[in-house]
Amino acid sequence: MRGRASGPSPLPEAAGRIWRTLGAAFVLLVFVPPLLLLVSGSFTEPGLPPSPTPRLVPDPVSTTGYVQALELGGLLRASLNSLLVAVVAVPLSVLVASLAGFALARVAARTTAVVVGATLVALMVPATALLVPRFAIFRTLGLTDTLVPLIAPALLGTSPLYVLVYYLAFRALPADLYDACLVEDLSPMRTWWRVALPLVRPVTAALTALTFVLTWSNFLDPLVYVYDRDLFTLPLALRSLSVLDPTNFPVFLAGAVVATVPALIVFLLAQRRFLHHDDDPRGRS
Amino acid sequence: MSVRPDARSRRQLALMLTPYLVGLVGLVLLPALVTLGLAFTEYDLLRPPTWVGLDNLTALTDDPIFRVALVNSLVFALVAVPLRVLVALGLALLLHRRALGVGSARGAALLPTAVPEIAYGLLWLWLFNPLYGPINQLLRTGGENGLTVLGRTPPQWLTDPTDARAAIILMSLFTMGETFVVLLAARRSLPRDVYEMAALEDATGWDVFRRITLPLMAPVLALLAVRDVVASLHFTFVPAFVVTDGGPPPYSTTYLSLFVYQTGFEYLRYGYAAAATLVMILLTVAAVVVQWRLFRRYRGFYRL
Amino acid sequence: MSGPDPGGLVLDGVSAAYRGTPVLHEVDLTVDRGELLVVLGPSGAGKSTVLRVVAGLEPVTGGRVRIAGRDVTGSRPGRRNVSMVFQSYALFPHLSVAENIAFGLEVRDVPRRTARERARAAAESVGCAALLDRRPGQLSGGERQRVALARALVREPDVFLLDEPLSNLDLALRVEMRAELRALHDRLGATMVHVTHDQTEALVLADRIAVLRDGRVEQVGTPDEIWRTPATRFVARFVGSPAMNLLPADGPVRPRGDSPPGALVTDTGRLEIGFRPEAVTLDAADGAPATVDRVEVVGEDAYAYLTLAGGEPVVARVPAVRRPHRDDSVRVGVRWADTHVFHAATGLRYRP
Repeated sequence: MRGRASGPSPLPEAAGRIWRTLGAAFVLLVFVPPLLLLVSGSFTEPGLPPSPTPRLVPDPVSTTGYVQALELGGLLRASLNSLLVAVVAVPLSVLVASLAGFALARVAARTTAVVVGATLVALMVPATALLVPRFAIFRTLGLTDTLVPLIAPALLGTSPLYVLVYYLAFRALPADLYDACLVEDLSPMRTWWRVALPLVRPVTAALTALTFVLTWSNFLDPLVYVYDRDLFTLPLALRSLSVLDPTNFPVFLAGAVVATVPALIVFLLAQRRFLHHDDDPRGRS
Repeated sequence: MSVRPDARSRRQLALMLTPYLVGLVGLVLLPALVTLGLAFTEYDLLRPPTWVGLDNLTALTDDPIFRVALVNSLVFALVAVPLRVLVALGLALLLHRRALGVGSARGAALLPTAVPEIAYGLLWLWLFNPLYGPINQLLRTGGENGLTVLGRTPPQWLTDPTDARAAIILMSLFTMGETFVVLLAARRSLPRDVYEMAALEDATGWDVFRRITLPLMAPVLALLAVRDVVASLHFTFVPAFVVTDGGPPPYSTTYLSLFVYQTGFEYLRYGYAAAATLVMILLTVAAVVVQWRLFRRYRGFYRL
Repeated sequence: MSGPDPGGLVLDGVSAAYRGTPVLHEVDLTVDRGELLVVLGPSGAGKSTVLRVVAGLEPVTGGRVRIAGRDVTGSRPGRRNVSMVFQSYALFPHLSVAENIAFGLEVRDVPRRTARERARAAAESVGCAALLDRRPGQLSGGERQRVALARALVREPDVFLLDEPLSNLDLALRVEMRAELRALHDRLGATMVHVTHDQTEALVLADRIAVLRDGRVEQVGTPDEIWRTPATRFVARFVGSPAMNLLPADGPVRPRGDSPPGALVTDTGRLEIGFRPEAVTLDAADGAPATVDRVEVVGEDAYAYLTLAGGEPVVARVPAVRRPHRDDSVRVGVRWADTHVFHAATGLRYRP
């Protein structure tokens, strides 16, 4: 796109803008349709033969898929379970991550090195690799078929990555601020609460959103630990819906929409934090 | 900063770190050790594990399903990971500067990442449906009798082995949002004056990319690639589990993750599954080491 | 160094290290109650470390620190009753000016109302009462400086520590704040330790100056003493700009007048004479011949950079209207009364 013919780079501002807008339009054209189709598919009347031509607005528009999804799949119950897990796990997770991140930024360098090293190792272990042993441990503790294993990852900050993000954010605060706190006799706990945490509010917002999305979407853990239908979370209920009748797509697409909307809303609320932080003084990490 | 904290501070800092350390040890390090132990046992959760030595590992080498799963995972990592990083890099370079629509495009590129895996899987299950699915509907427009305009049969996405693998890779390309965000931030944190300098030298777009952007971003790219290779062992699970169920036969989309899950939780052979897990972890370590060496020569540019 | 405790600040043989490298070597310093001591030195001399050791932000590897008669060597910073103005000011960006100033009181559980009243009073005394509702991000450098000062004095600490507080201001503001700082000190009668690398700031501001070099105290004295009787060659050259000229005592320049140092070479080795640029005359009949390399005019004054016949450089300050020109030949003269004599080997001042 930026060939030799188009002159020096950066491109002249006007031409560059047009190219970038065209590119943006292309990106929109690729990434948006699947989600539009998800919505449109969910409003299709179940049981109709496939239409010969693809159409974005179903004919007729029908909410039968949603009605059936709620009835057959127990989506209401599952939503409540998912909400319960999220309400406990998300604040706990952010709390754990921010406390640990702060401590890492303030303890002796050797301790930090060890814990950060262990964290990097933890990041390298694929989640599926821990499936079997974690299950064995939770079973020994008698915690399978409860919601506890779904909340437990909060102790890891949901992803150890978030602990590292907090660590970097706290470490990036000016050392003089921490010294000023010491001179004012603030304990680490109060420094964290009164000074450090308020200063990394954008980080907290972004990580809270990401934690919510991860927790809300968690499929593997419920699949392994929960068998009681009454404890099913939304992703698990969705899966049983699709297994029930894999050809009845409006029903499971309706379920998918129900599961997606909360995650998407939270995500959109937070996305400007990590997409448009032009003025953020902590641009690099 | 380097002052030795007093007793009160030390106590509080230790307290603040404790929950995470419990999680780190209890949910990652200890399980990893348990894997190591279980891999040499036979264990069905009902009877206590019995020591079988290297039997699991030798059995794995003879297990055709495992071998297929291993090859599938490796092929996926070799094909999908570079593609994902490339797509993310392309988007980051395309969308790093302001223009009309750029903000929305950034959001759009991230959206699929926010959709719950399972919902996303179900969406594609429908999109790929050879009969009802919008993709083949689209491919059939203009053609007759269910053929494309060119008179060929549209891809049988979920029943033909090659098409099914391609389908899963295609799915995975849409969810590179996190990589995209990091690359976007990395690109925007590159110093502006370097590019102004390049403009003064009348460097072309390609030269700027090859000689400035790429080397400066190489460390981030390397890190993301390593991360993606590791993650690819995991994010193949839901698509394979929900969309293709490991098929079409014989095991065309059975990846290591699915193999471990099925062996453990469907056939209740936990020791055997742990052995497969062990192979997975070793692969991860190998991938990390290899890539780290590959990209180490770029390390001088940045201090990470 | 022991003796009666003045109730101010005492550093008694304090040593400190940073990552295993010693940065302070048995520093002895006494700051009387109500005194303003300026710690002066080039960067890397350990000036800031002195402050941080007093504040307890840096541990000592030896010696004792006493504040207002209490030995605080092992106490944590918050227990020392000191306050500090940081070079970066270290204002809390998320708190308003009022909250910033009241912060130290509120975290010590002073009732909110009292804390706010005292914050207002402190703000008034440094002239930033109009800013109380603003955030640090909305303030100019000078305003931040005032807020930082107010925050430091609201707690009425035993010692104020100021770490290059004026270095982030532009020149005009620096001169203004310098005067205000001195006035504030006189009004409060507070014990202050002020760190700077700016010798003018030190001379203008200080009751006494401690010159630090490589973690050692070179000289402690009033600005007058530092200027007129520098104890070492280092102090002599560090204070004053351009730096003092330094030549072998038996070298080309033979000072006139009637107080020679006894001998030009002592049994402990050679001597050197130093004289400030303003002491140099360029038209002495018996002066040492020199040529003019370049001339810098600074308003009314001009600095002439000369080279003596033997190759030694000399700087002279002359009125701009009577400045020489490049390549002119001049004769450098100086009077004994204007010279400082040092041992060449040790750099110590020579006292006959």
